[in-house]
Amino acid sequence: MNPVYVILIVVAIIIFIFAIWYISTSNKLNRLVVKIDESLSGINVALTKRYDVLTKMIEVVKLYTKHEKETLFEVIKLRDNMSLKEKSKANQAMNESFKKINIIAENYPELKSSENYKTLQQSIADVEEHLQAARRLYNSNVSLYNQQLVSFPTSSVAKSKGMAKKDFFEIDEIKKNDVKIEL
Amino acid sequence: MSIKELEKLRKKARNIASIGILCSVALTLLFFHIEKSSGSTYIESLACSYLGTGIGICITQLISSKSKEKFTIAFKKTFVLKSLKSVFTNLNYEPEKGIDESIIRNTQMMYMGDRYYSNDYIKAKYKNINIEQADVHIVEKHERGKRTTWVTIFKGKWMTFDFNKNFKANIQVSQNGFKNSKINNWGNKLKYKKVMMEDQSFNNQFMTYAQSEHEAFYILTPSLMEKIKNLANTIDGKILLCFVDNKLHVGIQNNKDSFEHSIFTKINENKVIEKISKDIKLITNFVDELDLDNDLFRKEV
Repeated sequence: MNPVYVILIVVAIIIFIFAIWYISTSNKLNRLVVKIDESLSGINVALTKRYDVLTKMIEVVKLYTKHEKETLFEVIKLRDNMSLKEKSKANQAMNESFKKINIIAENYPELKSSENYKTLQQSIADVEEHLQAARRLYNSNVSLYNQQLVSFPTSSVAKSKGMAKKDFFEIDEIKKNDVKIEL
Repeated sequence: MSIKELEKLRKKARNIASIGILCSVALTLLFFHIEKSSGSTYIESLACSYLGTGIGICITQLISSKSKEKFTIAFKKTFVLKSLKSVFTNLNYEPEKGIDESIIRNTQMMYMGDRYYSNDYIKAKYKNINIEQADVHIVEKHERGKRTTWVTIFKGKWMTFDFNKNFKANIQVSQNGFKNSKINNWGNKLKYKKVMMEDQSFNNQFMTYAQSEHEAFYILTPSLMEKIKNLANTIDGKILLCFVDNKLHVGIQNNKDSFEHSIFTKINENKVIEKISKDIKLITNFVDELDLDNDLFRKEV
């Protein structure tokens, strides 16, 4: 066989292998991005649940105390397409409200012993666990993705696609303690 | 029943079994001798002697099984029941009965083989947690030509516990080395996927499959993963955890038959109680170590 053909075939094979590798690596990165988006929606769901429980709790608190809604509840707006920072901020605001409610409950034994309040406290614990799970899943996916982005040769594919590192979703320590509320 | 009476039963069972063993040895030698004196080769005589051994074992089983069973049941009703009563409430202990096969089958997480045996059924409450457990032996028929062999798929303990969280999707955590667990995606709306947890040492020790990654992270908190690792290190055997329908199923593959006492071993009360306590601890450890009685997250359904 003509050596030129041999070289051409070898080059074609190398290009073919490279194309396959590029496509599969690119798909792998895309799948990771989809997984991150999915896990981010888990955080949204958990935050919404937390917000709902907080709203219900404020209603219960109002039944037993003279506190106005505004004094308990900072203006928290949950909307679609919030950035991670905004989500974290909303979460922080909810922490503050929960803290206020807990302090008030200490001064109103009737409130603290009411079945509604107890049930809601249990719901908080569960919602917190879901939020923690969503956060851990999101961070785990982000970690995998970021690792790929700094590993050669995957990093070159990511660079060509304009992919950048993603931020982790952080939750402050006070928030984590919410889970340990004693009934 | 007193220990003296129990010892009497044990000795009777032991003597009958000993006679059976002696018969087996005698038959083996007799068959070997008859075959050898008829001019057969050494190998042929040896093969024939196996026939004698086989007949001997059958005879031993036939004559000793009743007395052995009588002793075993008396032993369990005397010692095991007493120990169980001191630990569990709402106790129902049936040494001859087993856990229903459908309980394991319905998890769809174990190969069920061709034959299923189970005994030492316990249904009780411990720290207000509902528990069911039994010894389980699952075997599979293997046929090669005219030869049929029975291979053990699972031998050990199967337990179910109330789980302290409500969850919507099933999860399986299988320790490396646990054989014959399975993942069944056939007909399930939610398909199982392999999940990598953030704890690398947990991933190295266990394989996690879940119908929902979120639920896997919800159930397997960092502290629970740590507790599972610690628990697995203390158990002699490999474990399978199946989180199904708000219950925790635990399979311990340890090739052991719990709450048993050999008819050839004299009953030493202290040693017997210690051994039974160890078997019971294997059950209660799951509630104690995994904090299953912490119902902070469980909402009334």
